[in-house]
This record gives sequence, C-alpha cells and structure tokens, in this order.
Amino acid sequence: MRIEDSFEVAAPIEHVWAAIVDPVVIGACLPGCRSIETLGPTSYRAVVGVELGPIKALFNLQVELREQRPPSFVATVTRGEEGTRASTLQAESTLRLEAIDGGTRVAYASDVALVGRLGKFGLGVMRKKAESLGRSFAETFRARITQAGAA
Amino acid sequence: MTLLHKPATAAEAVRLLAADPDARPLAGGATLVAMMNADLARPSALVALRHVASLATISRAADGTSRIGAMRRHRETVHESDLRGAQRIVALAAARIANPTVRNMGTIGGSIAFADPAADYPAALVAADAVVEIVGPQGTRELTAEAFFVDWYATALRPGEIVAAVRLPPGPLGAVARYDKLVRVTGDFAIASVAVVAVVRDGAFAALRLAVGGCGPRPVRVAEAEALLVGARPGSPRIAEAAAALGAACDPVDDVRASAAYRRRVVPRMVAHALGTLLAPEARAA
Repeated sequence: MRIEDSFEVAAPIEHVWAAIVDPVVIGACLPGCRSIETLGPTSYRAVVGVELGPIKALFNLQVELREQRPPSFVATVTRGEEGTRASTLQAESTLRLEAIDGGTRVAYASDVALVGRLGKFGLGVMRKKAESLGRSFAETFRARITQAGAA
Repeated sequence: MTLLHKPATAAEAVRLLAADPDARPLAGGATLVAMMNADLARPSALVALRHVASLATISRAADGTSRIGAMRRHRETVHESDLRGAQRIVALAAARIANPTVRNMGTIGGSIAFADPAADYPAALVAADAVVEIVGPQGTRELTAEAFFVDWYATALRPGEIVAAVRLPPGPLGAVARYDKLVRVTGDFAIASVAVVAVVRDGAFAALRLAVGGCGPRPVRVAEAEALLVGARPGSPRIAEAAAALGAACDPVDDVRASAAYRRRVVPRMVAHALGTLLAPEARAA
C-alpha cells in the first residue's frame, strides 16, 4: 500500500531538516512511539504501538537511512515485526523538503507491506489509519518546530 | 490464558474494566471471540456482561421512548413489538445482520461498541435519532448516536466505559422506516446501506432523517439534503440532488466487497431508490 501526503511548516528548511533527521524529535512526534534509539550513523531502532479498534500491535522497527541529501531529501527502509512475529512490516519511504513562501513543505511517500495477522484486516481501513497517523505526526511536528522557533 | 470475569452488576463490570486497560467487555462474543480466534485481539481478561441483568431489559416509557438494554440480542430486537414508527428502523436493520446464529449471539451494545462502519446498527441508530446510554468509572452519561461513532472501529467510549442501553425516541407521528442494504451474498457486511425514517403526507415528505452506512468512518448524514427533501414529491429533482449530496459526503475505502469508486456511484442510486419507494403509494399503504 502506498501512502502519500504533504504538510507545511512555518520554519526555514534548515530547521525542519535538522528536526527531521533527529531521532529524538521524530520519536516524540510519531504517534504510538514508545522508544527510539540510535544504532549507528544511519540506523535506528524504534518500538511503536498501533491501535485499531480492539486490535493492538506493538512493532519493533529497524530504520535504515538509505540516502540523505541535506537539506531536501531522505530515503529510508523500515523493517519490523510484532513482538510475537505474528505480523511483519516493510516500508520504503521518501521524504522531500522544499522551501516555500513562509516556510517549508514536507512531502512524504511510503510503500508499506504488512504481512501476517494484521494483513487479514481490510487494507482500506489500514490505509485510513496510516493517513490519520501521518496527519497526527504532521500536527505534532509542526507544533514542535514552530514552538522551538519562537523560543 | 485469558481470565474470565462474571460480574453480576454493571458497576462491578466497570470496576474490573477500569482496573485493567487490556481487559475487554464480552457481550455476545459474535465479533470479539471470532477476532480472538483469528489472533487479532488478545485481551488480558474478559469481563462477561451476560450476568448483568440490568443490561438485558427492554422497556417503553409513557412518551413512547424505547430503551433497549445493551445485551439485547439481535434476534430479540428483530421481533420487538414495542419498536414502532421511526423505531422500526432498528428492527429492520437487526433483521439484516449476518445469519440466525450471529443474531442469536450478537448484542446491540456489543455491535455498536465495535463500531464497524459496515455493520447494520450504526446507520439505523443515526436515522432513528438514538441516544446511547453509557456507564463508566465516572458514572453514567449519554451521547447521541451521531456523537457516539467517531471513526473506523472507534467510539466515544472512554477506558472502562461500556454501553448500558440504546434509547430510541418515539419519532414523529406517522413515521415509516426503510432499510436497504447492498450485499454480495445474504448475511455479508454491507457494501453500502441506507436507513431512512420519514413522514409522508399528501404524497410528499413532511419530515425525514437519512443515514448511509458502510461508506466512511461513521454513518453519513447530510442535514442540508434532509431539509431539501421536505416537501419533495415523486420525481422531484430534489431527490436526485439530495442523493448526490449523500454520495459526495461518503468517504469510502477499497475493500474485498467493493471499490471506493463503486460505492460513491452506488450510494446516490440507493438513496434515490429508497426515497422513491417511500413516496410510492404502495409503500404508504404498507
């Protein structure tokens, strides 16, 4: 499933870039993120909880930065599984930053494959869930960046 | 191992649920047990509600309001003679749920708490202008059906809260109900459903509430379309206009039953068909 969206932040592209490659900032903005740790210069480990109705899943994710072109482009590969390996997830994502009037536009695209018990659930609803997680991330991220800018 | 609690009162059930965030209330089990079998839900404990007598009653107030306890089975609701006029929409929807086995198991409280948008009750309860009574750690509160359903598989219920009952107002005098459900096979979840409660007087709509199910995170209701339909007669262009407005308000997904694009096309036709049939003389006589 492919997820694509974009949002705008009222901050200069360099600030947004610095935040977007900072695992502490990303971890704080990602809905359901329980922990995030740096494994190396280009790899992170994160534990993320997702809820959909009565379904609760806790994913252990490993994120590899495959390509970085500061301050405008990042490509990542995410692999992960539930603690019980009942579902596995793989995602290839890109993130593009573009300086616009009054700030920065952040455009993201992600190809997500979900296999296992959660794959049984309707893909359409999963997409809606992913979209709403994306919007929630954008809101928190935007608030955090503009707050930091004002401080 | 999943622990099974069997409280005898709603207060005790709520206390058990509030004490363990991973515990789940077990109503009829038609959905929750199936999800546990499919390894989709893994509650730490189940709080069975079947021994809570106060949840299993139905009553009718002097003003004609019907109160359906959360643990009333779909089969009971189908045959409930106390549901009259506008309230019939809920019995009509109950009759279209799944199959006899599920209707014998499933409960109205369990179904709406699960809040599958393709289920039959959500649109019917919105069309009936129902109120959901909720009991929780902070006591009781109530919400309109429209406020109760908030997203895909998500309700306004807070941790520890359960549905106590669904209250159906008597509705306008002379109201009739119609529930249409488009399915691939009998007993399936809806590709789309249309629930209408209407008063037809002198061949025109005098009052109307309409909700579409299965085509978005919540039942879809468009107040402007309803206002447009008041006074509409058979063949009125306002019927097509209102039907198009309902279709435009839908936010469906692609799933195994149909594509989102198909749903957007079929909803206006279903709405127009339901409205036309309600206005037809033979429907009024029935």
